[in-house]
Amino acid sequence: MPEMAKSDKRFFYSLVPAALVSSLILVLLFIVLIYYSAPAFKEYGFRIFTTKTWSPSEESARTSEYGLFIPLLGTLVSAIIAVVLALPFAISTVIFTEEVIPKGMNKVRETFSTLIDVMTGLPTIVYGLWGLAILAPFLRDNLYNPLYAVLGSIPLFSCRPVTGTTILTAGILLSMMIMPFMYSVIRHSYKRIPAIYKEAALALGTTKYEYSKIMMGMVKPSILAGILIGFGRAAGETVAVALVVGNTFNMPSCLLSSSYTISALIANQFGNAALYPYMINVLVVGGLILLLIGIVSNILGIMYLNRVRYTA
Amino acid sequence: MILRTGISFFTDTPAYPGADEVGGIGPSLLGTMWLGIVSTAIGIPLSVLTGIFIVEFRNHKLAKITKVFTHSLLEIPTVLIGMLVFLTIVVPTGHYSLLAGSIALVIVMLPYTMSYLERALDEVPRTYKEAGYSIGMTRKQVVFKVVLGIAKPGVAAGLLIGVAKGISETAPLLFTIGSARGDFPVSPMDLGKPGDAIPLLIFQFIQSPYENWHDLAWGASFVLTVIVLVTFALVKLVVREVKL
Repeated sequence: MPEMAKSDKRFFYSLVPAALVSSLILVLLFIVLIYYSAPAFKEYGFRIFTTKTWSPSEESARTSEYGLFIPLLGTLVSAIIAVVLALPFAISTVIFTEEVIPKGMNKVRETFSTLIDVMTGLPTIVYGLWGLAILAPFLRDNLYNPLYAVLGSIPLFSCRPVTGTTILTAGILLSMMIMPFMYSVIRHSYKRIPAIYKEAALALGTTKYEYSKIMMGMVKPSILAGILIGFGRAAGETVAVALVVGNTFNMPSCLLSSSYTISALIANQFGNAALYPYMINVLVVGGLILLLIGIVSNILGIMYLNRVRYTA
Repeated sequence: MILRTGISFFTDTPAYPGADEVGGIGPSLLGTMWLGIVSTAIGIPLSVLTGIFIVEFRNHKLAKITKVFTHSLLEIPTVLIGMLVFLTIVVPTGHYSLLAGSIALVIVMLPYTMSYLERALDEVPRTYKEAGYSIGMTRKQVVFKVVLGIAKPGVAAGLLIGVAKGISETAPLLFTIGSARGDFPVSPMDLGKPGDAIPLLIFQFIQSPYENWHDLAWGASFVLTVIVLVTFALVKLVVREVKL
């Protein structure tokens, strides 16, 4: 960089404080999380991740037991369900907007796309409210009870669905929330496929289905990126999940039982955690895990996105 | 729901649990309003100055680091922002406050605002800047008098998106603003006190067993959705492509 003029230099340094504040937030977050989680590791060790019980005690650390195993598993299971359910919808919606809506109807295409974008912008609490009051009872009556009656012998569905708030409900609600994200990631790359490739595929006399399949193959890295970014979002989502996951310490191995996720655990317990020794620290460990899941999945996602390169 | 109670829905305090009437979301609406105002007031200078820094000195190492770090904020689950503010502000000051909530929301809105801002500042044509330099303006003058003037719509859009994203968040407020619905802050002098916000009210009331509180939560979520959609529509008017 060339030497700056004196006045420019002053300008540069006058902006530094704001830039530092903005970038130090992330650093501060890491430091605070590590600082507060250290005592939990010291007291309980690696056991935090493997213990299945959660029995806080106000007296001392000796009598209380905090295990993050169930919430951790719950977070992973619900996020995986969400991604698996959302992906087909995201892909077919992309094909629908780009290929099925006729060429001349750009206005329709843009409106449709905006509608899906608005879905991302809706407050998550509104999804949660809807999920708890309408989706959960609906699923219990129309999906869970039949599933339990028919497939009850399979361990995955072997528990009686008492309420509609289950790990599966959380996964289904999350899939609706992350679908628009995956949609916009995939569509972004899809729109950039050079016309040459499209023409080449069409010139071979492909049917619409074959054509779409070839095009999807071309944006494969962005589909992977969508999966990763969607997974990160789903794992970190808090209030909507806290409302529909049921918030009980049941193993999420049965999809029809209520369970817990890390984010829901934090949302429900963190406010009163100061009453119990070490509870704050254990919850911060959970937070640290969420942060790592979020950042790792996003970095990998961006890496895949950068791989979408067309040489045309 | 809102039709039934009329205008008092926006001004009353919530009714007692289990009561026949519903009451209103007055304290929460006011709280959300304050959160929006205060977080914008903090967010504008912070994001505009950081944005100028990132765009104007883009080749400088510090600018690159700042860009990566602020954009990564987008990937942080928002509940962690609440955790951070709880541990660094609420615990030392000893009580919940609207100010703490506003700071949490600034962190939420920052990455959204930044990405708009950077694009807006970036798209200002070079010729305008050069015109500024050619009449002997310093870099500072060019940025504040020429670039910001041209990029104004984009900057405004970024701030609006940021505020809309901020006030629709629940998780960062869970452990930062308390949920004071009786003795709630009215004047700016009370920002150090605990308050309430619409998303928080929905989250707590829908989990209560009372019918009238459920109704209130539905009404409140309608209001929140309308606020957010109106903001998006405004942004859509300003910039063509909205990225959420």
